[in-house]
Amino acid sequence: MLNQDIAWCPGCGDFPIRATLEKVIGGLPIPGRNIVLTSGIGQAAKMPHYLPYSYFNGLHGRSLPLAVGIKLARPELTVIAVSGDGCQYGEGGNHFIHTIRRRLDITILACDNKVYGLTKGQSSPTTDLGMKNALDPEGNENTPFSPTAVAIAVGAPFAARTFAGDPQHMEQVFREAILFKGPAVVDILQPCVSFNKVNTYQWYRERVFRLEEPFNDRYEAIRAADSWGDRIPIGIFYRDAQFVCREGKELLRKAVTEEAVARLLNTKCIMMR
Amino acid sequence: MDFSVLIGGEAGQGMFSVELELSDLLSRLGYHFFATKNYMSRIRGGHNFHMVRVADRPVHALSGRPWDMVIALDDGETQRRHGASLREGGILLGNDKVEAIEKEARETLQDVTASNTILAGIILAVLGADPQKTKTASSDAPTAERLEKGQAFAQRWGMAGKFPVPARAGSHCKLDGNQAFALGALLGGCQFMAGYPMTPATSIMHYFSTVAAELPVHFEQAEDEIAAINMALGASYAGLRSMVATAGGGFALMTEAVSLAGMTETPVVIIVAQRPGPATGLPTRTEQGELNFVLHAGHGEFPRVIFAPGSIEEAIALSRLSFDVADRWQIPVFVLTDQYFADSVQFLEGSAPTTLLQRDYPIFETGYKRYTLTSDGVSPLTFPGLSEARVEVDSDEHTEDGKITEDTALRARMVDKRLRKMDGIAAEAVTPTCFGDGEAGTVLISWGSNRLIVQEAVEILQAEGVPACALHFGQVYPLTPKMTEGLSRKRLICIENNATGQFAQLLKRELGLKVDHLVLKYNGECFTVAELVERIRKIVGRGEEA
Repeated sequence: MLNQDIAWCPGCGDFPIRATLEKVIGGLPIPGRNIVLTSGIGQAAKMPHYLPYSYFNGLHGRSLPLAVGIKLARPELTVIAVSGDGCQYGEGGNHFIHTIRRRLDITILACDNKVYGLTKGQSSPTTDLGMKNALDPEGNENTPFSPTAVAIAVGAPFAARTFAGDPQHMEQVFREAILFKGPAVVDILQPCVSFNKVNTYQWYRERVFRLEEPFNDRYEAIRAADSWGDRIPIGIFYRDAQFVCREGKELLRKAVTEEAVARLLNTKCIMMR
Repeated sequence: MDFSVLIGGEAGQGMFSVELELSDLLSRLGYHFFATKNYMSRIRGGHNFHMVRVADRPVHALSGRPWDMVIALDDGETQRRHGASLREGGILLGNDKVEAIEKEARETLQDVTASNTILAGIILAVLGADPQKTKTASSDAPTAERLEKGQAFAQRWGMAGKFPVPARAGSHCKLDGNQAFALGALLGGCQFMAGYPMTPATSIMHYFSTVAAELPVHFEQAEDEIAAINMALGASYAGLRSMVATAGGGFALMTEAVSLAGMTETPVVIIVAQRPGPATGLPTRTEQGELNFVLHAGHGEFPRVIFAPGSIEEAIALSRLSFDVADRWQIPVFVLTDQYFADSVQFLEGSAPTTLLQRDYPIFETGYKRYTLTSDGVSPLTFPGLSEARVEVDSDEHTEDGKITEDTALRARMVDKRLRKMDGIAAEAVTPTCFGDGEAGTVLISWGSNRLIVQEAVEILQAEGVPACALHFGQVYPLTPKMTEGLSRKRLICIENNATGQFAQLLKRELGLKVDHLVLKYNGECFTVAELVERIRKIVGRGEEA
C-alpha cells in the first residue's frame, strides 16, 4: 500500500480495485512512463492519485474526452480512464457513447457502486428501481442504465463486467481490457459500504457467476450484459477479434514547415459557415 | 474611384459562388477589394446578400454609400430591399437580365452554374477590366469562355466600363478572417484542434480538417463543446499546442473547462467568434456581445488573456502569438472575433510573421513536480512519457506534485502562485495601435473587427478638417495604465457592436477611464464607414451623441 493518506472509507470496494490495477499495470509489457490515467470527480475518480503513473484528474464526467485528446495527441501512450458510475454514465453519459464510437485504443473503467458516494447517498444511473436513496425517499423511479449492454450496442468491441470481491477475476479482465486494441469497457461491480446497504459484498457473492467465454454473437452478448437479478454474469461479454482500431498519427515534435504555411497563404476561401 | 456592388437572392441561388469567383479574379487581376456577406440561418430560400467593394486604394470596410450596382437573382426581394439604396445612374441587374444569363448558361454552356461566372464577368466589365488580362487570369478555358460571355452581356446592355476602377493592388494574398486565424494558429505551432460545428466558427475547423491531410496536425469533431475543449486540454497535457473555436452558445458549454485550464494550468487557445445572443439569437449575423462573458467565464479566480484582432495581419499575428502566451504562462488565452470579420475577405496588407513558433519539450527526472512554487508563478512544464518524470495534474486544489490537498495554507500559496502570473502577463501586453492625428482632442476607441472601419472613418473626418485619431485595442484584457496614457484629457468615443458598451465599462473598471460617448450598433449588422462618420460628426458637431 502506498505511503499516503487515502480518502476512501474503510472497506470500500475501491481498495481491491486499486490493488489489482497496480498489479495488472505493473505486469504489462508496457513501460510505466507510457501509462496515462484520466479520471473525473467522485471517490473512484481519486484512483490515479494512488497509482504511480502520470494522470489528468479532470472534471466530473469528463475523463473520456481528456482520454481522447491524449490518445489522439500521443498514440504511443496507453490511456486508461477510470471513474465512478455517476461520472462515466451520468454526467459523462454523452461522452461514454461517443468515446466508444471513436474506435480509439482507450480503456474505460467504471467503478460501479450504484450510488453517489461523495455527495452522500443519492441515486446513480445504475441504481436499481425502487431503491430508497437520499433524494428518492419513496424509491428510485428510473430504469437502471445498463452500461455494458449500451456499450456493445453503440459499437464497443470489448465489454466486460467484473466484481471487486473477486480480485483474480478483476486481474484477468483488466489485463485483457488494457491489452485489447480498441475501446474496452469494464463495469466493475463494487459495494459502497457507506451508502448502499443493499448491493453488499454478500449480496453480490450470492448472485455473480463467471462466464466461460465471450459470446461470438453481438446480440447474445447484449442480452447477457443486460441480465440482472438473482443471477448476475461477470466476465467478458464481447470481444471482437476482427476489430479494426483507429490509429492516430504521430504528431509530437513533428512541426509544420514554413514552406507549407507559405503555400497555404494562397488557398481559396472556404464556403462554410 | 470606389465601386460597390450588392448581389442578392435566396440562399442557394449562387451569390456566394459569384462572390468567391469574383474575389478570386479581383485578387489575380490586382484590384484592391473588400467582400463581406449578410446571410440567413437557412440552406435554401430567404434573403441573403453579398457585398463587394472595389477601389483604386486599399479598402477594408463597407463604404456605406449607395450601391453602384445591384444584382438581383431573385424575383423582387432584392430589388424591394436594396433598390432604394441604388445610386442615381447605378446599374440594376434584375430578373429579366438574370434570366437571359441563365438561359445562355443552360443552353449554350449546358451548365446553369456557369451563370455565376458570367455574372463575375459582367462585374469585371463594368469595372473596365482589360478582357485580355481577364482571360489570362482565368483558371481554365471554360472559365475564360464564361467571363467572355459576361463581357459580351455587359457590352450589349451598355454597362461595360460604366464605373471604371484601375487595378492598383499588385500581387497580394487575400484571406477571410477565419482563414487568418487558422493560419496564425499553424504559425503558432498549433497541432490539435477539436470542435463542434457552430456558425461563425465552423470554417476554422474546416480549414484544420483540410490541412490535416498533409500537415502534422489533427482535427477532431467532438460530440459537444464540452468534449471539444476537454479533448484540447487532454492533447495539450499530452504535449501538443491545442485550440478550440466556437461561438457564444458553444462557449457557454466550455466554461467549466476554462476553469479546469485555469486550475490545472494547462495551456489552451479558445477562439470565440461572436454572433448576436442571447441564446440562439441571430445565428449568422454579427455582434461584439461576448466580451463580458469571455472575461468572466469559468468559476474561480485565475489569470487569462483576451486578444481581439481587427485586420488580417493582426489576426494572423495575434492568433500565432496566443499559443506562445498560453504556453509561456500556462493559461487559457482567448481570441475574440465575430461573424463580420470571420466572413469578410480582404487583402493581407504589409506582411504577416512567417516564422513558426514551437513548444519546448524539457526533460525532467523522477521527483518532477508539475506545480512547483516559483517567483513568477510559472512551474516547469513537461509532458507524460518523455522520461520517468510523472506528470500529475489535478482539478482539485493540489500540492506541488499534483495531489489533492485541503491544506488551507497551501491553498492560499497556490492561489497566489497562479494569480501572480498576471504581473508578468501585464508587462508583456500588446500595446494598442494609434491611427490619425495623435494630437487631436477626439479619440475613437475600437477593439476587434471595428478597427479598419474606424480607421477609414478617421481618414474621412480628417479630410473634412475634423481633427481625430483612433486607438485600436488588439488586446482587451488585461488592460494596463500605459495603454491609455494621456487619454483622460481627450474626448473619448467608444465604438462597439453591442448594446451596452462592454469595452467602455471595462476601461472604467480596470483603468478608471471614463468614455464620453458611446457609438453602438446591435441589430446584427456591422458598421459601414459612412454611417460611422455620420454618427461621429453629430457628436463632434453638437458635443453629444445623437
